[in-house]
Amino acid sequence: MKKTLISGAFVRSKLFWAIVAELLILLVGFILRPDFLSIQLRTLSDGTTVLFGTPVDIFNRASEITIIAMGMTLVIALGGTDISVGALVAVSGAIALKFLRWDVLVYTTPGDYTVQPYYLVILLPLLTCTLMGLFNGVLIGKLKLQPIIATLILMVGGRGIAQIVTNGKQFTTQYTPFKFIGNGSFLGLPLPILITLVVVLTVVLFVRRTSFGMFVESVGINPNASRVSGLRSDTIIIIVYVLTGLLSGISGLIYSSRISSNDSNNAGLGYEMDAILAVVIGGTSMTGGKFSLLGTVVGSLIIRTITTLVLYFGVVSEAIMAFKALIIAVVIVLQSEPVRNAIAKRRSKRIALGGEARA
Amino acid sequence: MRKLLSLILALMMVLGLAASAQAVTIGFSQIGQESDWRTANTDSVLKAVEEAGWEMVYSDAQQKQENQVQALRNFISQGVDYILFTGVVSTGWDEVLKEVNEAEIPLILLDRMPEQSTLDNITYAAAFGGDFVEEGRRMAYWTANYVEKIGKSSEELNVVILEGTTGADAATGRQEGIMEVLANYPNLKVIASQTGNFTRAEGQAVMESFLKAHEKIDILLAHNDDMALGAIESIKAAGKDPGEDIIIVGCDSPKTAFDAIIAGDMNATIECTPLYGPFVVDALQKLIAGEEMDKTLIHPEEGCFDAEGGVVYSADGRLSEKAEDKIGERLY
Repeated sequence: MKKTLISGAFVRSKLFWAIVAELLILLVGFILRPDFLSIQLRTLSDGTTVLFGTPVDIFNRASEITIIAMGMTLVIALGGTDISVGALVAVSGAIALKFLRWDVLVYTTPGDYTVQPYYLVILLPLLTCTLMGLFNGVLIGKLKLQPIIATLILMVGGRGIAQIVTNGKQFTTQYTPFKFIGNGSFLGLPLPILITLVVVLTVVLFVRRTSFGMFVESVGINPNASRVSGLRSDTIIIIVYVLTGLLSGISGLIYSSRISSNDSNNAGLGYEMDAILAVVIGGTSMTGGKFSLLGTVVGSLIIRTITTLVLYFGVVSEAIMAFKALIIAVVIVLQSEPVRNAIAKRRSKRIALGGEARA
Repeated sequence: MRKLLSLILALMMVLGLAASAQAVTIGFSQIGQESDWRTANTDSVLKAVEEAGWEMVYSDAQQKQENQVQALRNFISQGVDYILFTGVVSTGWDEVLKEVNEAEIPLILLDRMPEQSTLDNITYAAAFGGDFVEEGRRMAYWTANYVEKIGKSSEELNVVILEGTTGADAATGRQEGIMEVLANYPNLKVIASQTGNFTRAEGQAVMESFLKAHEKIDILLAHNDDMALGAIESIKAAGKDPGEDIIIVGCDSPKTAFDAIIAGDMNATIECTPLYGPFVVDALQKLIAGEEMDKTLIHPEEGCFDAEGGVVYSADGRLSEKAEDKIGERLY
């Protein structure tokens, strides 16, 4: 795209700077080692051909957070937060593995296990997470609890539920259809990327093709005014938290499928923070109102790119957290309003008016 | 008459023994359920104490130090006879352990030790724990000897390491042991070492990056088997054959690692046993009989398991065992 084609409003938007930040991080990686961005075709032992390279990894490993962050964007647009998503990831995996390995308490040789109908293995975790989302939604929408308090219940309780479901044990499965969700590939692309694509498209269409997105923004900006003007704000709140619950469930299936196992202690650990960060980097304000789903996707990719960069270049383990925090700090400062305005003004003094660009 | 008297005497002795066996109460303050290893550890101790016929007061701290402090104080007020203790962290135990000392309840430390300055200030009856540095050494020894066995000892081989949680004793110790031994084998070159936080998911993601960043990886040493199992998936996804193209050595030896070794996806696992029950009971019996125990940290006997067995894995020439023969005995 030529520079002149980029409108001033877009340059001043957070989405633009999120994309710039992502490209800059990738560029740093590319300058340090050009093969950072190389993609090649590889044939695996089972005969499938897959795309192989760091960019594929970034998209692949960003899946779990991107999927959750779609829901989180709407939650934050409502002026709320959902800190239970990480625990829901653990619940989803625990239930899936429990149903895959019904006999697991009596150990049998590998490969020798009874399998519940596969659709149950997929549906039950999703249903449970959806119900947990409904629980959050009712507490917040109907009982008017503060979102952070309401979702704290399941953040703490969710992992407990996951532990109870599996008797505190870690189950392992070798059931191929289940392993396919996280490790399989279709048309050379890892399946999680395709699942993410479907989820993002569905949410974007649902939110932007119907008036739901507008309702969410309206409730986020002023819930009372929205209610007075006839919006069922409680219903909208419930739908958003239910959706987030469902998406956490999908994310949990991908996570547990990748490791062919449930891990009630570590599955989804810290995902709530990563998802919130992705939303914020993507340009949605924590105070609610306008939101950008595409910005969130970019935000999630930035987080994963930083992690991948750190691993690829072998930053010493002790320094990883500090290094990540440093990059994120730079990205967020770059996006802050004074900095954006200053840069945009310098680029073109003609642009004096114009609001936020939206995805 | 004499017969009756001796019968009564015998009966009294039996009753007396039974009473004294009943009278021993043991308090066990455990960290909580954090992993399969921990579950096996708890089960082993509880089962062994139950079989010995003693009363057990078990307290699950749910990973919280304050719960453990509370549990220890409860043990004191309940007047238990012995305390088994695994601390969730290494610091901050001085005060409560001194209270245990003042109550004159013999203390047995298990697995995770309080920091040295605490140990210097308190008295304890016995201490059992894993030797993480030795486990690291064994991983490296096994690897070096296996490389020699398959006739690659003259080749330059690239090693990558998946570290445990940064700062955890098990991670620091194992890394130290690995590096110490690998220094003697210049052909085994460590080209990358990163933390995988002891989890499968991170082990998988980190290995995935290793495979992109380094063209030639010959050996993977993982600080625990979970990370190795995660890494196996990444290696398969890169079109390589785990266990063949890349030699994989893990640590801990749960059943899942045995499965992977038997399937040919993994090469060896160094044992870090959670089965503390038998020797804890052994120690308790000695203490009850009035014997003094050595104050030095006692390490449990641990093995190494691989596909074929017979590989030297320690400086004192211990031989690895065949995983297939041993999987039946695995409890966790």
